[in-house]
Amino acid sequence: MSKYSVIGTRVHRVDGPEKVTGSAKYTFDLVLPGMLYGKVLRSPYPHAKILKIDARKAKRLVGVKAVITGKDTIGRKQGIWRRFPELCDEEILCREKVRYIGDPVAAVAAIDEDTAEEALDLIDVEYEPLPAVFDPLEAIKEDAPQIHDGVELNININRHIEWGDVDEAFEKCDHIREDQYKCCPQAHVCMETHDAVVSYDYGGKMTVWTSTQSSYYIQRLMADMTGLREGDIRVIKPPTGGGFGSKFELDSAQFPAAILSMKLCKPIKIVLSREEEFTATKRRTPMYYYLKLGAKKDGTLLAKEARVITEGGAYTAMGATALYLTGFFSSFPYKYPNYRYDGYRAYTNTAPTSAMRGFGAPQSTFVGESQLDMMAEDLGIDPIEIRRKNGMTPNYEVPGQAFIQSCGLHQCLDKIETHIKERGKLPPNHGIGVSAYGFMSGGIFNWFDTPYAFSAAVVRINVDGKVDLFTGACDIGQGSDTTLSMICAEELGVKLEDIRIHAADTGICPPDLGAWGSRETLMNGNAVKRAAADCKRQLLEVAAAKMAPNIVYDFDIKDCWVHLVDRPERGVSYYDIVKEAIRGRDGNAIMGRGYYTPHRKGMISPAYSFGVQVAEVEVDPETGRYKLINVTTAHESGTVINPVGIEGQLEGAIMMAGGYGFCEDQPMDEGKILNPSIADYKLIRSLDMPETEILEIDTYEPEGPFGAKEAGEGLTNPTAGAIGNAVYKAVGVRINDLPITPEKVLRALKEKQKKSK
Amino acid sequence: MSYHCPVCNKVSKSALDLARHMIGRGDKVHRDWISSKGFKYSELLTLQFKSFGGEGFKALAGVLEKETKVKD
Amino acid sequence: MKKELKFKVNGQPYDIYVKPKTLLVEVLRDHLGLTGTKRGCNSSSCGACTVMLNGMAVKSCSMLALQANGADIMTVEGLAKGNKLHPLQEAFLDHGSYQCGFCTSGMLMALRALLEENPKPTKEQIKEGIDGNICRCTGYNSIIRAVTAVVKGEYKEAK
Repeated sequence: MSKYSVIGTRVHRVDGPEKVTGSAKYTFDLVLPGMLYGKVLRSPYPHAKILKIDARKAKRLVGVKAVITGKDTIGRKQGIWRRFPELCDEEILCREKVRYIGDPVAAVAAIDEDTAEEALDLIDVEYEPLPAVFDPLEAIKEDAPQIHDGVELNININRHIEWGDVDEAFEKCDHIREDQYKCCPQAHVCMETHDAVVSYDYGGKMTVWTSTQSSYYIQRLMADMTGLREGDIRVIKPPTGGGFGSKFELDSAQFPAAILSMKLCKPIKIVLSREEEFTATKRRTPMYYYLKLGAKKDGTLLAKEARVITEGGAYTAMGATALYLTGFFSSFPYKYPNYRYDGYRAYTNTAPTSAMRGFGAPQSTFVGESQLDMMAEDLGIDPIEIRRKNGMTPNYEVPGQAFIQSCGLHQCLDKIETHIKERGKLPPNHGIGVSAYGFMSGGIFNWFDTPYAFSAAVVRINVDGKVDLFTGACDIGQGSDTTLSMICAEELGVKLEDIRIHAADTGICPPDLGAWGSRETLMNGNAVKRAAADCKRQLLEVAAAKMAPNIVYDFDIKDCWVHLVDRPERGVSYYDIVKEAIRGRDGNAIMGRGYYTPHRKGMISPAYSFGVQVAEVEVDPETGRYKLINVTTAHESGTVINPVGIEGQLEGAIMMAGGYGFCEDQPMDEGKILNPSIADYKLIRSLDMPETEILEIDTYEPEGPFGAKEAGEGLTNPTAGAIGNAVYKAVGVRINDLPITPEKVLRALKEKQKKSK
Repeated sequence: MSYHCPVCNKVSKSALDLARHMIGRGDKVHRDWISSKGFKYSELLTLQFKSFGGEGFKALAGVLEKETKVKD
Repeated sequence: MKKELKFKVNGQPYDIYVKPKTLLVEVLRDHLGLTGTKRGCNSSSCGACTVMLNGMAVKSCSMLALQANGADIMTVEGLAKGNKLHPLQEAFLDHGSYQCGFCTSGMLMALRALLEENPKPTKEQIKEGIDGNICRCTGYNSIIRAVTAVVKGEYKEAK
């Protein structure tokens, strides 16, 4: 019998009815009176000086209301790493130079999209093409073209993590492996492309409706870039068609729309085309990975060294975080007594690489889990056993970096071991590959330089007992609206239907950093729980006054019944207490506030979730083609608040993470992405999707609301590694560069055959 | 025996470790010192990712061994 | 030069004038205000714009509106009867077969068309039926579970 009434139950999402009836209105659907349509002109060159922009012909086209360029802005550069001005390097509307194919140079507002599109062709831009560089190892050479002024050798950032003494430790190892890997980029492919409607009114106030993961970030960055006060900009997030890391930075739909709107005092709508989405929005960071792993012959891992150089693309964006996190998660989920990571990010003349679900950890998990399997094979140790021997445990400290409180990794390993045994003997050319991971529940480092608490919420109770929950948290499909409503209902002791959530509108909600790094459940959940607890306390005061029991008794509310905890039959209806509380406070609505910022929780995150995944594949050795048969995951994410939500996140993560291993890639030629359409960008469709199974492990995270922690982003970490290990188990070939395509498998099989002759 | 960085005075216990520090810092002053000894910084860095055995560090460590060793 | 377009959408007859190059999805969304149908690509590959035309699933971005002259169109707005949801919609709610929801309208229409043609599809046939619809959020399996439940008769169609 669950001790919870709401959390842990299988519910319809609170936004369900509007989504299944097509009545949810996305930014994509928004139409305002007098609205104009905008389009963006982008650079055809990967690297060039802008000599002249002549928009006269475009301006004369009937239906065109304005044309803007970088010269119409206040000339600032922005970036999401606001704490470090040298990393704020993106103008969005370029003034002097373009740095990748797709870099915006101008924008048009017109009466309809067709006219705006036609006007783009009439803008004459004179460029002076400059030599360009596309590979990070080329970009760092002394004779490579410099992409940003003052950044020599195009080395954007470097990050280093170290504990123990790896050099000394390697001396003590019985076996050492050194391996190199290449991790490819990946496109988010949100079903709703980046879009915005911006309305600047004659009173000098701006309203932005946009598909975003963080309305607060957009508000703040827009203020930085327009010179408006933060408070004069209101950002509203309508239902949003996916984010996955691509939508928490100021983008080339929002900013040009804002500048156009400020010029015309009319609402401007810009919707990026699917091609722009592929070529001119940010993508998963490609990495060259070098790993050195040392172990004793019994499988104890003594030392690991990781070196990474990433293809940064034209701007920093969130690349600095991806660089750090890949190095940090390269040490997960094992206890390395000695560890060293050196990471470098190089600017290149390609579309910027930034954040994508997993944030550097899918890359580190692919390379780490591949190498660990090889180490296990070298030592003659079972892959589960080597992970068991070295796996993290509860209350483990990653030296100087992080403190892991709850950790169910070993239970996950046990469950997966049983699953593999039950699967029994596999048919020929089948293989099962294992991959383990750990991931963060939101980040601690305040690179955005916000003065606000990381998460905040306000709860207001109406006289009829109905509850309004105001929070800055952004539901981008991951279900935070539902999860947070459930937390609020549970804490307050009411039903889920009693909660109405108002989220992600900076005009009425307190700030929240947004949906990234898997932070909403833990961080905003804590804020919501505290706000609800504040309201509850106010109600319980009234109940105590009314019922006046012995002082030793505690009150609580459950299922809308305010009662003594020890004598639950003695109580009064929540609805009655609400009415009395309001009357007793001179008619003031009952309001509660809560906020959360992690303090003294290490360098990275307040809590971590863990899991172990196995993928079973069937390879056709004649063609190299392989099928994903089954992906089974044992994972733990603390208390499960929203079980339907977690299942959805897990299966969705397998589609995305599986795609990273299986088929997704962005081949380029001289900086031009060659497959910028859904027809050409391969991803997993229904026929390719494997059977999925979830094995839930029960854990409790003290830092999280009701014991919950992240689920949904960590699950994108293991699948590529599991697939790689499975292919190896099936046909004995190891592919070290993603994605693992049939061509690569076939080539490797042929090489293997040649060698064995 | 200890090794003092000729640029920022950071102390390392081995030439190899000091080499790693200098290449890792990657800022102009450290790079300029490395270049002044006839190395190309980008080549040393590239060796990190293209070679096994830490060749990039070893090359620089050889110079540091001679020039920065300090008796404790 | 606009041309006359006479067709039925969700049982409602329309008689409007459109430019020849207007796509069916544009007429539905922009002219008739039926924004449930979405657009996710320019290459008729994502399925977000799927509607039913004379009982068959079509990608409304891949045909001109005038090609639908005389046709009977159903969009996602036509699934529910008043405030009673269609069994597929109920099943989607129960199984969490949507997350961001942007592909959901097209997905539901592809499934509605599938069940019209084949009321008892196998799991493999369901997968084939939605092979033209991309969902980036759910991984498809919850969708297949929902449809399977409908096929099994767990939901009653509203009269």
